[in-house]
Amino acid sequence: MRKPLHPLTMWIWAILLSIGAVALDNVWVALALIAFSATLVRLRSDGSPWSSSFWWALRIGLFIIAFRAVVGALIGVPIPGTNLFTIPRLDLPSWMPGIRIGGAVTLERLASSVHEGVIIATMIALFGAATSLTSPHKLLRVLPVFIYEIGITLVIATSVFPQLAASFQRIRKAQKLRGIEGNKFRNLALPLLEESLTRSLQLAESMDSRGYGVSRKRSRYRPEKWHRRDSVIVMTTFLALITMVAA
Amino acid sequence: MITFENVSLIYPQSTKTVLEGLSCEIQEGEMILVMGHTGSGKSSLLRLINGLVPHHTGGILAGDISVDGISTRNVKPGSLAHLVGIVGQNPINGFVTDIVEEELAFGMEALNIPQDVMRKRVEEVLDLLGLNAIRSRTISTLSGGEQQRVAIGAALVMHPKVLVLDEPTSALDPIAAEEVLSILHRLVHDLSVTVILAEHRLERVIQFVDRIIYIEGNGDTAIGRPEEILKNSTLVPPIIRLSRALNLSEFGTSVREVRRLTADIRDKSFPEVQSSVGTHSPVIEIESLTITYGGKRALDSVKTTIGAGEIVAVMGRNGAGKSSLLETVVGLLQPHSGTVLVNNRDPRTLKGAERRTAIGYVPQEPSDLLYKQSVRDECAQADADNDLLSGATFAFLNSLVPNISLDTNPHDLSEGQRLALVLSVVLSSNPQLLVLDEPTRGLDYQAKALFTLALKEYATSLNYPVLLATHDVELVAELSDRVLFLAEGEIVADGPTLDVLLSSPAFAPQVAKIMSPKPWLTVNDVVSALENNS
Repeated sequence: MRKPLHPLTMWIWAILLSIGAVALDNVWVALALIAFSATLVRLRSDGSPWSSSFWWALRIGLFIIAFRAVVGALIGVPIPGTNLFTIPRLDLPSWMPGIRIGGAVTLERLASSVHEGVIIATMIALFGAATSLTSPHKLLRVLPVFIYEIGITLVIATSVFPQLAASFQRIRKAQKLRGIEGNKFRNLALPLLEESLTRSLQLAESMDSRGYGVSRKRSRYRPEKWHRRDSVIVMTTFLALITMVAA
Repeated sequence: MITFENVSLIYPQSTKTVLEGLSCEIQEGEMILVMGHTGSGKSSLLRLINGLVPHHTGGILAGDISVDGISTRNVKPGSLAHLVGIVGQNPINGFVTDIVEEELAFGMEALNIPQDVMRKRVEEVLDLLGLNAIRSRTISTLSGGEQQRVAIGAALVMHPKVLVLDEPTSALDPIAAEEVLSILHRLVHDLSVTVILAEHRLERVIQFVDRIIYIEGNGDTAIGRPEEILKNSTLVPPIIRLSRALNLSEFGTSVREVRRLTADIRDKSFPEVQSSVGTHSPVIEIESLTITYGGKRALDSVKTTIGAGEIVAVMGRNGAGKSSLLETVVGLLQPHSGTVLVNNRDPRTLKGAERRTAIGYVPQEPSDLLYKQSVRDECAQADADNDLLSGATFAFLNSLVPNISLDTNPHDLSEGQRLALVLSVVLSSNPQLLVLDEPTRGLDYQAKALFTLALKEYATSLNYPVLLATHDVELVAELSDRVLFLAEGEIVADGPTLDVLLSSPAFAPQVAKIMSPKPWLTVNDVVSALENNS
């Protein structure tokens, strides 16, 4: 189970399945896909810094569902049906017809909002799973050189976040000990900014002095190989996509 | 190999000349030490060699530097990548990839070196630096010494003729430092690599280097053999101070040489000095303390008591649990089991002003505590926090390090000045316990001496304890009364500094190595023993 996949495999898998989820537009299938990716991440994640990104994706997904539900219930076009409850309605000027704020909240209206939220959350979860299971560094290596340049900026930017989080914790701890209670943003932001700037300057220097960007062509130390299991996964996913689109 | 021709350097918006009229030639296979006070421009000089200064930093450069015939004026640092390998002060900040092997290959990939050559060179370097066992590890999980070796390896795979290192051992424990330095020594002697390094802890490197470039801070530089430079320098390792104190006819830079010169002193017999172990009323009481991080034990049933007025150094390898112990004492970490009491209180329950007066803590990055825009604001905040007369904190700072301008941004202070500022801020609340995590990183000998004095003054005049974690054996010898030695989360030695340091050759300070088997740790010990005897 630990055999590494080609870095693109999981991404193709995520793209295909999210197309399927949108095309099929079925909440239950979407939820099943989320459950499936959660299982995959649980089984295959290797404890690397990015492997927790799936659980963050899930949290973002939940937030989107909740947010869409609230907004959908409050604003928008009412769908007639079972009335759940009524909230006071805000009067809007006559030149804004068709939009209302407040008023009756129907089960149908709520259900359709949640439905949309779930589909979006599914896409996020699928891509979250792909990020969790693929090393961004490996992904970079299979990209063509002109993407590599952009890609490396992204990787550095993303690898900075865990470091930032760690420094944030450290600085807050230290300041707590100076008896500075509470998290005044300014108190934390200044040392944090200073540190991340120093860090990125040092990284830039290190890359520059190691010849980064000198040659237009890069050689590859260890090319990523496409294995049979990668083909199998991609083919299976593709079949699943066709089934979903056809259904 | 490297030629400096009348090089002058000045940074924009600065009135201080970093270098003025430096001319020298560095031969192939030489090992050169760059020394100077903190903030004197050592890093600048190092980074001139591959053009990071001024290509990256800006600054006005006059004169010319050429490496192997290529002038850095005309090419960017990247074009020298095959010639000059550079290892920064914090290697972790310079790593681009996440796996050791890939990090080694990164530079070669960038230069489009064919795959078969890359693989061969990576294997070579893995063997040379003993990295084979960790080749597929994630870099962030490695210890400081291993990271330093990976950074050196990443530079070496390019087969550079020049290797430049900025404080390669400052974050390492004595054993890891020795390892890194012996690798450098081997590179110089076996492969004729030219090595240029900056270092504050001269005692670690002085016996390896061929010549010293001394940056005096006002733009002037002196170049010469170690004995010549150190004869008149204010920055000298204990070994030179000893030679001066004993009025030796010659200056030696290695333990072996000075031992030979001082044989007559060791032959004399001295009355045995009883190390007085006073009883102190307990301030910190630690009872069967265990801390686990994700299944790994950082501390394992640690038990100890630290009394009033004691200065206790916590030593041990990188990752032995020093920081965990300190963080538990100051109340940042929740013990897994066991208790920690500071003046009979659980440090985790302390808050705000109460915490300030109970425990003063100087973290590994002292600047974490600072958040104002100027020294004036920082000091004013400390005065206000502790109901002190306005100006009291600054007055204390001034007594530690004079001539700090009130308007300076704390970020622009030199390392020693910044530590002094943090120390003044922390001590402004008169804490009943002072805890410091690796306080002397990047400090020169003068700053260290000042710092030692300030801590001793605090401990003796107020009769409060000081607890510090450090790798700096010389500091421990000068400062502390007692040493706790941690290994794998357990206390393996706990006793008077003299006993603990003398029992392990790797952790013995320079003077002790020279004077062994006599029980002396510092120059002062030797001098006072001689005085008492005559």
